[in-house]
Formats: sequence, C-alpha cells, structure tokens
Amino acid sequence: MAKKELIHVKINGKDREAPAEPRLLLVHFIREQLGLTGTHVGCDTSNCGACTVILNGRSVKSCTVFAVQADGGEIMTVEGLPSNGALHPLQEGFKEEHGLQCGFCTPGMLMSSYALLKKNPKPSEEEIRWGISGNLCRCTGYQNIVKAVQYASKKMAQGGK
Amino acid sequence: MAAEKTSPGLVEVEKTSPEVSGMGHRMKRKEDSRFLQGRGNYVDDVNLPHMVYGHMVRSPYAHARIKSINAEAAKKLPGVLAIITGEDLAKANLAWMPTLFFDKQMVLATGKVLFQAQEVAFVVAEDRYIAADAAELVEVEYEELPVLVDPYKATDPASPILREDREEKSNHIFHWEVGDKAATDKAFADAAVKSKVHAISQRCHPAPLETCGCVADYNKATERFTIYLTSQAPHAHRTLFALVAGLPEQNIRVVSPDIGGGFGNKVPIYPGYVCAVVASLTLGVPVKWIETRSENLQSTGFARDYHMTAELAADKDGKIKAMRVKTLADHGAFNAAAQPTKFPAGLFSVCTGSYDYPAAFCEVDGVYTNKAPGGIAYRCSFRITEAAYLIERAVDVLALDLKMDPAELRRKNFIQPEKFPYATPLGWTYDSGNYEGALNKALEMVGYKELRKEQEEKRKKGELMGIGISSFTEAVGAGPAHTFDIAGIKMFDSAEIRIHPTGKAICRMGTKSQGQGHETTYAQIVAQELGIPAKDVIVEEGDTDTAPYGLGTYASRSTPTSGAATAMAARKIRDKARKIAAFLLEASEEDLIWEPGKFFVRGAPGKAKTIQEIAFAAYTNIPPGLEAGLEAINYYDPPNLTFPFGTYISVVDIDKGTGEVKVRKFVAVDDCGNVINPMIVEGQIHGGLTEGLAIAFMQEIGYDENGNVSGGTFMDYLVPTAVETPHWDTGLTCTPSPHHPFGAKGVGESPNVGSPAAFVNSVVDALSHLGVKHIDMPITPWKVWNILKEKGLTG
Amino acid sequence: MAVTIEKTFRVGESADKVWAILSDPKKVALCVPGAQITEQVDNKTYKGAIKVKVGPSVTDFKGEVKVVRLDEHAHEIEILGKGQDVRGKGSASMKMTGKLRNVDGGTEVVSTSELNVVGILAQMGARVITEVSNIMFEQFVNNFKKQLQSPEDMSAEAAKPISGVGLAFSALKASFSRHDDKSNGSAESDPGKK
Repeated sequence: MAKKELIHVKINGKDREAPAEPRLLLVHFIREQLGLTGTHVGCDTSNCGACTVILNGRSVKSCTVFAVQADGGEIMTVEGLPSNGALHPLQEGFKEEHGLQCGFCTPGMLMSSYALLKKNPKPSEEEIRWGISGNLCRCTGYQNIVKAVQYASKKMAQGGK
Repeated sequence: MAAEKTSPGLVEVEKTSPEVSGMGHRMKRKEDSRFLQGRGNYVDDVNLPHMVYGHMVRSPYAHARIKSINAEAAKKLPGVLAIITGEDLAKANLAWMPTLFFDKQMVLATGKVLFQAQEVAFVVAEDRYIAADAAELVEVEYEELPVLVDPYKATDPASPILREDREEKSNHIFHWEVGDKAATDKAFADAAVKSKVHAISQRCHPAPLETCGCVADYNKATERFTIYLTSQAPHAHRTLFALVAGLPEQNIRVVSPDIGGGFGNKVPIYPGYVCAVVASLTLGVPVKWIETRSENLQSTGFARDYHMTAELAADKDGKIKAMRVKTLADHGAFNAAAQPTKFPAGLFSVCTGSYDYPAAFCEVDGVYTNKAPGGIAYRCSFRITEAAYLIERAVDVLALDLKMDPAELRRKNFIQPEKFPYATPLGWTYDSGNYEGALNKALEMVGYKELRKEQEEKRKKGELMGIGISSFTEAVGAGPAHTFDIAGIKMFDSAEIRIHPTGKAICRMGTKSQGQGHETTYAQIVAQELGIPAKDVIVEEGDTDTAPYGLGTYASRSTPTSGAATAMAARKIRDKARKIAAFLLEASEEDLIWEPGKFFVRGAPGKAKTIQEIAFAAYTNIPPGLEAGLEAINYYDPPNLTFPFGTYISVVDIDKGTGEVKVRKFVAVDDCGNVINPMIVEGQIHGGLTEGLAIAFMQEIGYDENGNVSGGTFMDYLVPTAVETPHWDTGLTCTPSPHHPFGAKGVGESPNVGSPAAFVNSVVDALSHLGVKHIDMPITPWKVWNILKEKGLTG
Repeated sequence: MAVTIEKTFRVGESADKVWAILSDPKKVALCVPGAQITEQVDNKTYKGAIKVKVGPSVTDFKGEVKVVRLDEHAHEIEILGKGQDVRGKGSASMKMTGKLRNVDGGTEVVSTSELNVVGILAQMGARVITEVSNIMFEQFVNNFKKQLQSPEDMSAEAAKPISGVGLAFSALKASFSRHDDKSNGSAESDPGKK
C-alpha cells in the first residue's frame, strides 16, 4: 500500500482533513474517512451518478475522482445543501412532488439538480431531463423528479433560497 | 386523480379528514426526511468498531474444473486476515447451501465452477482496497470444460452434464404441467382459427441502484449474531441462516435497514452473505461484504429467461376457445428460483390472461445451463410478467391473423364483471375485475380512434407508427397457507400495533419496504381504521428482534397481506377500545357508534370519547376485568390472491433511418381496488413502466458460446435515464377486492407486468402491414433497422 | 467471444528472407511484444508465455503454440496458440494463418487470426480487444521489420505497456476512419508514443 497523504478539504463549509492513499476514490474518502455516508456508490463503471457531489463548484462523479485530486478544494455533498434550518427548495420539491422512493439515487440527484439550477435557473423539462441524465434512478421513472426540480426552480425564482 | 368506482357494492372506504389522512389521501412521505438529507441508513452506511472487509474471488470460466487454488501470495499481503475457499467451507458442511427451490448451490466452488463470475474464494482484509488487491493475487488453476449456454441444447446427449452432484445425471430439472390437455387438444382440432407465437422473455436483471451486501457481526461476548442485510424478507432469512449455518435462531438478529431498491433481487441468500457470516464467526469481528455492480449483474438473481410458445384457438369471429403453452425455463447453474414450493414455474399459469374461455394446457420444462443461477421474480409475482407478456402477445398475433382490431378482439373476449369470482381453466380464481372499464378509459385517454386514423394516413406516406395494447391481469399477495409456502414457511404476514397513553402509535410489520413507502402507507391504514392521524403513527420494519414474523415484500404482497393484517389488528384494537369507551361513557357497547377517531353514544353525539382519551384510559383508568394497554397483533392468512389489472397503451414512432423507436405516448390505466395513497401509486406506476421500457428496448444479460456474459456492467446493461424515459399518463379505475379487509389489491408490480407487451405490441403494430408478426425483446434500433433493411425500407 | 482480425503489411525484403523468420515460431515470438518461447516440446510444438499490459492492467498468459501447417512452397503457415491466464482470470486461443505474396519491391504478408477469449477480458474486452490487437500488431510489424534488417540484434523484448491514453486515441481514431488494413500496416509513427 502506497504512503498515505493528508488531504485537506473544505466540505459543507467545514475544514476537514484525513489521510488518503493515492488511489483512494473521493467517494470512499467522503464516506469513510470523513464519515459522510449520504453520497452513495451504485456502480463500478461511472454510469449511475449516485456518487455525484459538487467539487470546486462543479458536479462530479466522486467515484471517478481521486481524493488527492480534491486536496485543497471545496466540496458540497447532500448533507451540506444550504438550508437555513429548513429544507432547501430542492429537498422540499422532492418531498412535495414524490421525487424519491428508495432514496438511494436521491443525494446524487439532488446534487446534479443543484448544479443544473445554478447554471440554468429556469430550465425547460427537456433541459432538466438532460441535466439529470447522468443520474440513474430505478424507482421513480424520473417524472416526479422533473416536477421536483421545476418546483425548486419556481421557489428559488420567488426568492426562497 | 380520482378513481371511478366501477363495481359498487364491494368494500367501500369512507375518506377521513386531511388531518387524519387515512386512505385515499396524497400524504407526503414520512420517510423522505432522512433520505433527502443524506441520513438514510443503508447497509454500506453501517460502520462498526473493528469492522473488516470481504471481497470475492470469482471464476472467469463458465464451466471448468478447479485444479488448484494458491492463496499464499494473497495471504502474505499486509492487512489480509483470512482467505476462505470451498474446501474450508466443506469442513463445516457449508460449501453448499440449499436454494429457495429444492436445489442446492455452491457457496464457494468445490471441484468445479458452473458459471462465469461464480464465487471461488472469499478474502477478508482490513480495508476494501487491500481485500481487492489480495483477491487479484489468488491464483486459481482451471481446466476448461465444454460450455452449455443454449437451453434448447440442455437435453442434447452431446451436451455436457453440468451437475455432477445430482443423482440424476441430466440437465433437465423439472417438467410441470397444468390444465386439461385432452379438452385443449380437442378445442384446437375443432378450431376455425389457430394462431401461434414464439416469444422469448429474455434474461434480464432487476439492478436496484443499491447492490447486495451485508455486515455480519458475531459478538463473542454475547454469542449473538447481528446481520445487517439487504433483504426483502428478513425473517425468512433469519430462519434460513439458523437452519443452514446451524446457529440458534434466538441468537440471530437480521436487520434490514434502509434498502435501496429490491425488485426481487434481494430475496435470495447469496454466497457473499454466508461467507461474511463464516468470516465473522471465525474472526470474531464484524465483516462487511458489499458487492460491486458487476458482481450484482453477473452473479445475483437474474429474472425471466423463459422461452415460450403460445397457441390460441378461436372461432372465425374471434372468440377464443383454448390456449396451449409450452415453455423452456433456463435456470442457470442452480435452480435458485425464489418461488412458492408448489410452483416450479411460479404463477406462470395465469397465462390465460384476462379472457374467458374454457380450456387451456400449459407445460414448462426447466433446465440447467452455464449461467448465473435463479430466476427471481423481478417486480412481478412469480413468473407473472412472463405469463402476461405471452398472452398479450398471443392475443395481438391472433388479432393480426383475424385482421381484427386488437382492442375489439380483447373486448370480445374479456371476462365479464358479473362472472367474478372467475375460475380460470388453469386453476386460479380471480377475485374481481372490470377489464372493459380499464380498456375504455385507456382508449379514451390515448385518443385511440384518432390515432388509428393517423396511422392510416402515415402508412400511405410510408411513415411508421404503431399502437400497442396490453390488458393484463396479474395475481399478487401470495398467499393462502393452503397453497403457498417458501421453503416450507407459510406465506401469511403480520402487523403489530401498540397505542401509547397519549394516543400515538407504533406499528411493526413482517414486510420490508425497499422504497414502496410503507412508513407512510401503513400509517394511513391505521389512520383509516382508528382515526389516529397518520403523522402520529410510527411504522417500523426489518428488525427480526422486534417485528412480528413475516415473509417480506415482493410479488406486490405487502398491501394484500400485511396491509390486511394491519387492518385486522387495528380492528381488534377498536374492539377493545369499544369496551373501554363503554366503561368510560357508562353505556353498553351496543349503544356506541364508531366514527373515525371516536365512539359516541347513539342519539347523544355529545357523549363521546376520542381514541386518544380511550388510549389514555387504557393505562390510567382500566376497566375491571380488562388488561391494561391498547395493542394487538394479527397474522393474516389471505383467503386468496388478489388480481389487480389494467390496460396500457403504447404509441410509438419509428425512425426509418436509424431503427430507433420513440415512445410518443404511453397511457396506463390501473385497477388495484381501493387505494391507500394515490401519489405513491402513481410513483410506483412511473417506476415500473420505466423498468418495462428498459426490458422491452434496452436490456439483456446475454452469454456467448464460451459463457462470457455480456451486459455485465452498466456500460452494456442499459438503464434508462431521464432522457430515454417518456412521460407516463396514468389513470385509475377501482374494482375493490371482495375478500380484502379494505378492498385493496396491491399495485407495485403491475407496470412491469403489463408494459413489456404494450411496448412490443406497438412496435409490431408499426410494422405489421409489412408482414412483421413478432419481434423479440430487447427491441434495439439494430434489430428494427435490420427488419427495415430486409423490407427495403431503410431511409 | 470470437474476434477475427485480418492484417496485411509489406516489407522490402524477398519472400525467402521473410519466410525464414515467419516459419520459425521462436523468431516470430521475438517480434511479439511481451512474448517468449520457453520450451520446444517437439518440432511442431512449443511452450510459451505472453504478458499483455494495458495501462495498469496486466495479464500473464502461459500456453502452447503448435505449428499446424507449414507449406514451404506456397509460403503459408498456420499456427494454433492456446493460453491460460496464470492467475485464473481467463484464457485465449488463437488460430493464425500467415501467407506471403511476392509484390513489386518486396513481399506482402497477409495474416488472418481468429481469436477466442474467455473470462474477464472478454467481458470488458470486446471493444478493447480489437484495439489492443491493432496496437500489438503495429508493434509486431515494427519488430518484424527490424529483425529482417538485423536478425542478430534481436532479443526478447520486454512487454511495452500499452498506455491507456494511447488505447483511447487509437479507439477514437478507428471509430472515425475506415478500417483500412494497408494504412494500418504502413503506420509510420511509433505506436508506443501516440
């Protein structure tokens, strides 16, 4: 096993550090070294998106990023969705529109939607579907997820952060 | 979306207020909070002190003898704690374990391997990366043997015999038949019209987003074994672990925490679980084993692989007289089918469908091949999707042969509402149905007449457009003790409800949600029956130490069994509540009237006691002669299965240049009787239709002549994204089940059962004017393009 | 999974000179990157090994090579190779025919291989196998040409790892260009440096 490096990240607003060997995947670093298990692993070929997090402002599949690549960077996971005590409009939208069933794809779905709305605050249905096309869901058939993102888009446009 | 009640007189459900939120309310889910905040507790989230990791070494060959296993290099890797082989397990009589269906399967290979990705050795190490490294260092010497992947060749004398462990040296597992062969043959002999279709329900895989895994934790100090397990049936698994591993059942606790999707994949016991259990027993520390996606697709419970031929006999006006079915079932290397014991082909004999005719005969032969073992019931009652697909394809082929509109042919043959309970020619008694109601609603929603006109116009221009109908009936809620058991355990289910002094409640059931929303829906049942607001009712499932015994959640059985048990337990509580109310109100029990949430004295509505007041009294002012407390448990033995049904209509357009099929519109009208939560029902339909879409157009676990599996990762086994998935238009009709306590039927699987046929029927319909009668799934653009090329139509 | 690969290349030397190398499995093995003949069992059968590296992934095959047909006059050779991965990850068998043709300025070598792969490589490898074969073949051709020019200098070449990037570019290139065997055979650039 190669020598471990101490990796420093700012995750969900907090400064954290933990050791990582060079080949440690970011998703394992987040889940195991940092103890944040909201981000999930759903495949081994980078297809499913359950591991999606925001790294330095962009959504990435954390199973395809090495922890060392995130050294010094800023990460947001589902646990860090800004909320001011309540739910983020996206989380609210997913609940109101029944955009989740087993919940396993949900963290990744939320992060991809968050990134989408940051880039495109008023996406059309087609843009939403393309925007979350990197996230697989087996339970919902995506229809209510689209509605959830539309709900959040509307709420955020009205000023609800 | 209000359901039209089409059969008045059956179980009526009165809607409660929004505050109580009983049945029929679109209550937002209570379980969402934790999932939305990343605070779910899935098996891989379980982290225990001193926990170590397991990784499986797997066979690259489909059929080979194991000459030697050399784990020396692997053992020397720092951080490796143990390497278990089949030989090691054999010493504890654990190298083989029983399957759920009268067969046994290897936990770790001994002697030979029988499918690519079969488990050969289990490595345990301090972290999962080291375990994976060590697995790479295990050297296995194989001697390749000839491979059998074609089920049709299984009984060929030239084919290798796969199972040397069986007494009968044959690849044939079982022959099963049902029905009246003589009557059926006669009906065919006399028939004016005979049509035939050979339809393959291809091998596919449920692929829930969370793979299978466990944390096996043997505590040497307490001698208790806790297994956190991705299990759809925790109690059954506990009993099986006790029987197979010889561990005392009271010392085993199976905990199914949050499960990230099941769809039948998490019903069997997998070798990885057993190895983790053995490792934990040996090492005395918790052992975590989580399979990768590749392992999940290549070695765990596959679905379908039924090769079916259906024939329909009809008169010249289209009245069906009989059905004849012959099916070849490919079970892979071991018969690990998850099915009730009396049914080697599951409930396949519902293949007579929604139609009224007197004679049918069905035979199924199961065979072994060098493929992963199974098959499980993928989001359907056992083998129901295969059956529904077959009859709905057969009816469409008959419509083509008769040059009749497929909707009209179905309408002509539907079992009429007044004929229920209806005894099918293959032995099922359908409880209730109004097939024409669902068909009419679907035809209206999709605009059928206009679509047929459009199709005519398009055909003149050489454009390809198709409309496909599927009017399915499925059988769920297994099932009555007289007929149904899994590995000997009868298929009842249970609910335990306890009301606290302040009128809140906690319930535990023997089922196990993997996303179906039980924490909400069961609470709504309690709310309906007792008037306690659903938000005041906590629902727990999955911990075998606390939940009453049940057979789990699959085959859409939760609402029909545990849902019923919940209602029955609630009614027992209501009976006791009546006694307490009578005592408190100083009235006789007969003079009390129940309204959701309270009893009041007949003629004096002001003299009332709420359920909350009654609950408080149960602990503080107990009537003499009664025990304290307000709780009940019920084990429900359903008198019959329930038979949800529906009509789905798919509208497709085909691109002549690429062969790509686009689903332009899809209408799904479902009837699951009385609905607990319409929002959850819609979600289930959306999800199931998306799985059906994938099966119809995208998915196959295939094997080449050397037994190499294709479709073994998500690169090749395609799951639809939001882009491929069309918009689903859903509707409901309501024909309650007459035997269910609140008239419900269960619905989670209907969309997967009914939709493949709708999709395939629509593509064939788009090409039928060119002479196409059938296309096997998955209907890929490549397949369609080749057909178009053959017909000289490629753009 | 069976893959058929046809390759043609030209050299400036005479058919007899080419045949001298092509008809001798020991000499041919010197040209295949990562391959070696370890033992001669009889005049037709050899034991050998080949190490195939693709990026960080290494597969060590051990097996047997048999000369099935050797036609001195027609300058045709048919060999059958079968090998198993030493760690038990899979196996491969290959039937290869090589034919020589006299052409203006030299000799044309035409080879047809039927490759059958079982195991992990076959699952991941359907796309990769063709590209890996292409890259290995280009290395082979270069080595073959070198051996023709200075046969005494040849020694078993260590397996040149195929870089993952190189593989990706090669696959991309192949998907955009037509599969033209002649253009593959006359590739000028060093395949290891793509």
